[in-house]
Amino acid sequence: MKPADQKDESPVYQRVVLKNASPYHYMKVCLVLENESTRLSAVELKQFIITGLKSLYGEVGAALNFDVLKYDADTLTAFLRVYSRGLVKLWSSLTLLGSYQNQACAFRVLQVSPFLLALTGNSRELQLD
Amino acid sequence: MSVFMDLNLIYTGDRTGLRTLLETAAHRESSADDEEIVSSVCKHLCLYQGRSRPIRVLNRLTVVMSDSSHFRPNATEYRSFDLLAVQPTTEKLFHAACMLYDVDIICISVSEKLPFFFKRAPVNGAADRGVVFEVSYSAAIRDSTLRRYTIANAINLMESCKGRNVILSSAAEKALELRGPYDVTNLGLLFGLSDGDAKEAVCSTCRSVLLHAETRKTASGIIYTMRSCSDSAGQEGAPGDPEHGGSIIDSQTIKPSLASDD
Repeated sequence: MKPADQKDESPVYQRVVLKNASPYHYMKVCLVLENESTRLSAVELKQFIITGLKSLYGEVGAALNFDVLKYDADTLTAFLRVYSRGLVKLWSSLTLLGSYQNQACAFRVLQVSPFLLALTGNSRELQLD
Repeated sequence: MSVFMDLNLIYTGDRTGLRTLLETAAHRESSADDEEIVSSVCKHLCLYQGRSRPIRVLNRLTVVMSDSSHFRPNATEYRSFDLLAVQPTTEKLFHAACMLYDVDIICISVSEKLPFFFKRAPVNGAADRGVVFEVSYSAAIRDSTLRRYTIANAINLMESCKGRNVILSSAAEKALELRGPYDVTNLGLLFGLSDGDAKEAVCSTCRSVLLHAETRKTASGIIYTMRSCSDSAGQEGAPGDPEHGGSIIDSQTIKPSLASDD
């Protein structure tokens, strides 16, 4: 970085790339089921995601460590945390998960961020009146 | 950045299901596309309100070909559709579709292991003409055997085409089979695309398909207006006309270009 008192003839740009800025990635996901009155507990949700990982990636995928940080059982919304190198695996298995106990379902991934603070605000939900 | 598009939604004749599907697509922030088997156009495709602005709903026809007589070029029934797609089932038809047929999209089938391999020559020929290849992902959600076929066929395709000219779309029949644009981008990584190519497969390549479809519909030749460097406003593309003013339009630029021009 050039010191501020040096005069530049032309602007010099420097790109700073942070690799591995955060060891974890955080995801906010919502489960949408065909039968909307079905309720899951947090343990059942985690088990369901592990079966999804197992069906797509096998035992190695099912061994991927992820955590359910917060779970709202009424809206079926959860905050997940996973190591950054496991993000693509977890995200793709959530995408391809299609059925829960013989009813159709879909995981809607609402937000993904390497920083947990970023999940507090969501510009898509912003209502401008 | 171009808007996200999902160019393959199946028309099942069930009106309420279709409406739910389109509303879900609108909230997934994409433009949607209806595939019809019969040539009657859905008259009351009203405007679906998305998050910030309404999505566009288009018409598309997919011809599943097992014989070369199934697709008749310049047939009048094809005029009412915005997009034209072809799904070849044999290698000869694939070669013909890539090099000759006047279509926008070539679908890669997901319900069977492809009996033929993709050769570089037809794939590059299709890329030069502006035809894209399409991989549908909703079969992977429905069934695990289809999941293996989808991934296998998609990886085969990506090796031959090197990740360009590919679009990813759902072939969704129900609203629950749709996935958001970033989820589909992540699936592109699974199929062997790079990060940038996967994002392009959902937005800018889809946009170039729409532009290609417009050039196919509006003229049997190609009309290309280009802002010239001299003071004349727009010029019709006349190949090889160097005496015309100060701008020279060489014939290489007269083809529907795949590069997004936004």
